[in-house]
Amino acid sequence: MQKSYVIKRILYTVLIFFVVLTLNFFIPRIGVEDPAERYYPPQGNMSDDAYEAVKELTRKQYGFDVSTAEQYIRYVSDLFHGDLDTSFKSGSPKVADLIFERIPWTLVLSLSTMLIGAILGISFGAFAAWRRGRWPDLILMNASTFTTALPSFFIALILVLYMGFEWEWFPAYTDPNMVAGFDWSWEAIGRVFYNAALPIFSMAIGSIVSYAQTTRNSVIAVSGEDFILTARAKGLSNSTVLYKHTLRNAVLPIVTSLGMSVSGLIGGAVVIEQIFNWNGMGTLFLEANNTNDYPLMMGIMLFLSTFALVANLVTDLCYSLLDPRVTVGDKR
Amino acid sequence: MENFWKKAGKGIKAFGIASWKKIKKAILGFGDFIKKLWMRPKGRVGLILLALLFICAVFAPVIAPFDPYDVTQRAAKGLSPSWEHPLGTTITTGQDIFSMLIYGSRVSLSIGLITGILTAFIGAFMGILAGYIGSWVDTVIMRVVDVMLVIPTLPLTIVLTNLFGKSYGMIIFIFTLFGWTGLSRVVRSQTLVLKNSNYVKAAELAGASRMHIMMRHILPGVSHLLIMSTALTSAGIMVAEAGLSFLGLGDPTAISWGKMLAEVQSGGAMLFGHWWWIIAPGIGIFLAVFAFMRIGVAMEEVFNPRMKQTSSVYKIFKNLNGAYIEEVFDSMDEKEKLGYIEEKERVRHE
Repeated sequence: MQKSYVIKRILYTVLIFFVVLTLNFFIPRIGVEDPAERYYPPQGNMSDDAYEAVKELTRKQYGFDVSTAEQYIRYVSDLFHGDLDTSFKSGSPKVADLIFERIPWTLVLSLSTMLIGAILGISFGAFAAWRRGRWPDLILMNASTFTTALPSFFIALILVLYMGFEWEWFPAYTDPNMVAGFDWSWEAIGRVFYNAALPIFSMAIGSIVSYAQTTRNSVIAVSGEDFILTARAKGLSNSTVLYKHTLRNAVLPIVTSLGMSVSGLIGGAVVIEQIFNWNGMGTLFLEANNTNDYPLMMGIMLFLSTFALVANLVTDLCYSLLDPRVTVGDKR
Repeated sequence: MENFWKKAGKGIKAFGIASWKKIKKAILGFGDFIKKLWMRPKGRVGLILLALLFICAVFAPVIAPFDPYDVTQRAAKGLSPSWEHPLGTTITTGQDIFSMLIYGSRVSLSIGLITGILTAFIGAFMGILAGYIGSWVDTVIMRVVDVMLVIPTLPLTIVLTNLFGKSYGMIIFIFTLFGWTGLSRVVRSQTLVLKNSNYVKAAELAGASRMHIMMRHILPGVSHLLIMSTALTSAGIMVAEAGLSFLGLGDPTAISWGKMLAEVQSGGAMLFGHWWWIIAPGIGIFLAVFAFMRIGVAMEEVFNPRMKQTSSVYKIFKNLNGAYIEEVFDSMDEKEKLGYIEEKERVRHE
C-alpha cells in the first residue's frame, strides 16, 4: 500500500466531510426567514412588544443575531473545539452531550445485530455454498427476496404481537427502568439484553440473510481457485479445506464491510427504535424532528455522516492492507 | 406562400408517419419484451401479481366494499373478520380494513413506479454525461454522488419532509433526489465501456455531435440497466415509503400501507391480538415488492442470459477480475452484480 494513496484518500475524506458539514448547516436554513419566529411561534396571550422581545432574546441565545455567513464560521470553529451547538430543548443542553448520552444504546442494538448477522450469516452462507444447488442453498437464494419484501418494522410488529403480548417471552416495549437504573451490574446488563431481544431479532433477520448470501458467493468464488485444488490434492479433509483454506479467504471482503454496515444500521434503526420506544439516537432524532430542534438534527446528521465517512475510509485502507492482491495504490 | 404550406404539410405528415412508426415499434418492442418475461416462471409470477395489484389500484372504488375515505361509511370499531368485513374493522375508527388495503395500493404503487421511472431518467442522464463527457463534469457528478452516499438517507428524508411539507409530490421528489446515485454509477461505468467501442469511435470520426452519440449510441446501450433499475428501485422505494408513512411522515391525507401499520401500532392491535389488522398491510407491501423484484430478476435473465459471454455487464466484470469470476457472477443476484461492478469500477477509476 503506497503512502501517497493513503494521504490522498484521507484528504479526500476531509474534503467530503466539509461538503457534508456545509450541507448540514444550510439545509435546515432553507426557506426560513426568521429562525426565532419559526422555532418559537407566536403565543396567543402575548403582546406584540413582548413577542418581539422574546424573539430578540431567542436570536441572541441561539446565535441568530449575526448574518448567516458569520453563523457558519462560528459553527465551524465551534465544531473544532468539540462543540456541536446548543439544543432548543428546555435547559439548553449541549447537542454533543445529548448524542453521547444516547449513542451507547443505539450501539447495543446495531453492534449486536451486526454480530449475530455476521456469525450466523457466515455459517449459513458457508453451509449453503458447501451444499451448493441442494435445499439449503435454494432456501438461502430465495430467502433474500422475502427479507427485502418484508420490511423490518413489519417483522417487529409481528414479533411484538406474538413474542411480546401473546406468549410474553420478551417485553414488547422498553422498560424505562433499563435506562434509569443502569449501573453496570450483571443484572442491569442482563436486563438491557432482555429488553433488546425483540428489536435485535427483527433487525437481525435481514442482516443474517444478506451476510449469508455474500458469504455463499464469496466461498464459491474462492473454492474455484488453484490453492483450494492444491489443498484437496494434498488429501486434506473436506472440513479442513472448508474452514482453513476457503472460509478464511472468503470472509475477508465481509469483515472489511462490517464497518459500513454498522453506520447503515445506526441510521436505519430509527423505525425500530420508535416501535420499541428504545432510548437511542433514532428516537432522539424523531424527538428533534417533532420539536423542530434543528441544531440537534444537524448534530445527529453530522455524527452519522462522519461515522459513515470514517467507516468508508477504514474499510478502504484495511482492504488494501489485508488483501495484497488488491493493488489500490498503483493505477493510472 | 402556398409553397410554404405545402412544404409544411408534407413535413408534418412525414413527422407524423415517422413518429407513428416509432411509437408502433416501441409498442411492438415492449410487447415482445413482456412476452419474453412471460416465458420465464419468475417473470410470470411477477407479471400476474403486478397486474392484480394494478387492477386493485385502478378499480379500487369498484372492488372495495366500502370507501375508507368516507366518514359516513364507518362500521362498529374493532370487528373481527366476517363476510361483510373480510378483514374486520379498525379499532380506532371502524374503517373496513379490506377496503383500506385495496385503496392503499394506489399510494404505494404510484409512488414506487413514478420514482422508479424518474430515477432511471436522472440516473441515465447523469451517468451518461459523467461517463461520456468526462473531465470536470465527471468529477463534479461523481463527487456529488459520493457526498449523497455518505449522508444517511432516512434522517435527511425526515428533515426534508419537515421543511418542505409532507405532500405526495414532495415525497416523490425527495426519493428521486436520493435514488439516482447508485444507478448513475452503474450507467457511468457502462458508458465508459461503450465509449471505447468501435461504433462510437466510428460515429465520432463521421462527425456526429456529442448529443447525437449520447442519445443514439450510448443510451440504447445502457437501456437494459435502466429498465432493470426501474423495477428494483420501485421495489426499494415502496419499502422506504412504507417506512416513512409508518413514522407519520408520509402524505397525511392518503391511506397507504405504511400508514395502516402505524395505525396498527397506535391503535393497539397487538394488545388486543387483532393479527388480521397487522398482517393485512404487511401482505400488501410484501406482494408489491415481491412482484417488482421477481420482474427485476426475470429481466436480468432476459437481458443477461447465463453464460452469454458477450453481455456488456459480463465484459466489465471480466476485465476487472480475471477468470474465476464467471461462476460467481452467475450465482449472484441482480443487486449484488450491479453493486460488485460498481465497487470495482470505483476502485479502478478513483
